Amino acid sequence: MAKSLTRGFDAAFFRHLVVRQVRQDYLENLTGFAWLVIQPLLLLSVYAFVFTQIFKARISDAGEIGFVPFLAVAFWPWTAFSEAILKSSGAIANHAALVSKVAFANEQLPLATVTATFLMHGIGYLAVLLVLQLLGTDVHWLWLPVALILLVLLWLLACAIALFASSLQVFVRDVAQILPPLMTFWFFTTPILYSVSMLPDFLAGIMAWNPMTWFVVQFRDLLLFGRFEPGLAGLAMIVAVPLLFVLSLAWFRKFSGHFEDFL
Amino acid sequence: MTPLVRLAGVSKVYPRVHHPRERLRAFGSLLLGREPARGALVLNDVSLEVRRGQSLGIIGENGAGKSTLLKVLTGVIEPTRGTVECRARTAALLELGAGFQPDFSGMDNVRMKSAILGMSERDLDQRLDDILAFADIGQYIHEPVKHYSSGMVVRLGFAVVVASRPELLITDEVLAVGDESFQKKCIRWIDDFIENDGTLLLVSHSMYLVQKLCRHALWLRGGRVEEYGDAHRVTQDYLAWHEARNRAEELHRAEERGVHGHYAVHSLELTTPSGGETPVLATGDALSVDMVMRSPDGRVPVGMIGIVRVDGTPVYGVCTEDAAGCVRPVTGQEDQFHVCLELPDLALLPGQYTLRGHALDPEGMRVCDTMERTFRVRGETREFGMVRLAHRWR
Repeated sequence: MAKSLTRGFDAAFFRHLVVRQVRQDYLENLTGFAWLVIQPLLLLSVYAFVFTQIFKARISDAGEIGFVPFLAVAFWPWTAFSEAILKSSGAIANHAALVSKVAFANEQLPLATVTATFLMHGIGYLAVLLVLQLLGTDVHWLWLPVALILLVLLWLLACAIALFASSLQVFVRDVAQILPPLMTFWFFTTPILYSVSMLPDFLAGIMAWNPMTWFVVQFRDLLLFGRFEPGLAGLAMIVAVPLLFVLSLAWFRKFSGHFEDFL
Repeated sequence: MTPLVRLAGVSKVYPRVHHPRERLRAFGSLLLGREPARGALVLNDVSLEVRRGQSLGIIGENGAGKSTLLKVLTGVIEPTRGTVECRARTAALLELGAGFQPDFSGMDNVRMKSAILGMSERDLDQRLDDILAFADIGQYIHEPVKHYSSGMVVRLGFAVVVASRPELLITDEVLAVGDESFQKKCIRWIDDFIENDGTLLLVSHSMYLVQKLCRHALWLRGGRVEEYGDAHRVTQDYLAWHEARNRAEELHRAEERGVHGHYAVHSLELTTPSGGETPVLATGDALSVDMVMRSPDGRVPVGMIGIVRVDGTPVYGVCTEDAAGCVRPVTGQEDQFHVCLELPDLALLPGQYTLRGHALDPEGMRVCDTMERTFRVRGETREFGMVRLAHRWR
């Protein structure tokens, strides 16, 4: 099983792909590495300004924790997730020359993009947490390892979706147009800017089925409230996400031999 | 011994995907596991086997399916029907520089490419000097590849492939690029590679290269295997077919010229001991040429007969002016004149040749008409050139 999963997977090649992606997307600018931290912080201050000054947002169950930490802790994993999917969905089409000329396990392309994005945003996340701490929020650092494990699970979910989306986009080009509004919709239906407790019951019930809801709640619980209650949904995630990944990989491989026909 | 590469009944249909609707339909049949309803049949029931150390040349016209065959072979695409087995550490040069990212430096690209070819980091470190020496592009290695000339890209690409020490090397018209000295270097390396039990799959339009580097050849025509076997035989038949196809066209043109011109070649016939439509002979056989010319004013035209190799290189030519009285009127046909040229010992080396008969005006100043016939000299030899000169080792 494990062997067939890693068929054609080449660690050295994959590392090159990831490094290349990181360099392309984040380190091309002169101050590339600085931007990696500055950009998320700028974005955070924009959100903080808009939501605390203009909308006067109040989170009822945030307790003494302000809106900014409440938002930031959930916003970064989401950004990594969303950006990873959007970027990697074009991974095959963007590497048409490589895919149609060289034989290699094509799944490494979207997976490398997802990985690079998560790595970069993971670093940004740590920077943000550090800044939150410096600004007086009590970040529960002891729970950070668990949060990182959850981040890995989220990465796996992003990988699964990326494999499906990137292969589908080769055949149905409209995916590139459909995906961004779809991700925006997902963003607003996930309790990132708000809390589940602010919703009417029936909506909250529906939203419980959104896997991102679970992730967002866990990140907040772990890092802001210092508690970990994954519940039954957590168990389901542990099973469902890897399963989804395997299925998605199987789908991808079934069709990767036909990419060249459509590129 | 199990073959290194085996293709059995391989067919490939490329679906039509120009319009969004066609794409959807093609994707639909893919989902249902059906063959594309509408598409181009690029490979049709191709089977082949390559054993270790046995090199195969793949020849055919443009669009015959050669590149598709290589893509199926390397696993870039899946065949629509048939099975592909390849059990070798393969390096494919479908296009040198494929997988090179223009914005990254030569060095970065070397790292990337060597990873694709399955070299570990340690292998690469050990072989990096060899790669740089083989590519011989100096300080450009640190520049982005987009600043390279096409020749430099090829050199770098080939150098990495050389370093990956493949068991099976697949090349597609790669040797056509690059300068003379680099080409020689590549061919020397491939020679060495084959010598050391390496296996080569070569797609080339150069029959010379195919004959030189491969023992077997496969001729693809319209996606089908037209002929598969000994490289000399297949390449010669391929050239003969090419010539035959061009001939009808040439004849037509020659006839048109004959009508408008003054003096014309009426017929040109080759007779050999074996006879046949396209004469085939062996080195040293006799060949006789009969040419009938037409003269509208009854004056005696000058005839000229020459032999050129298939690529147009002249081998020998001779003119009736130097042999008085050899142009004789045809009895009963006042406007026709006949010449007969005998070549008792045609010492041409194996290959494809064209014999040309020309009708000149009586002054021998102007070629008024030309007719061509091709013939083939068959056989295998280790001699070089076009003609066997009389010789003796002492």
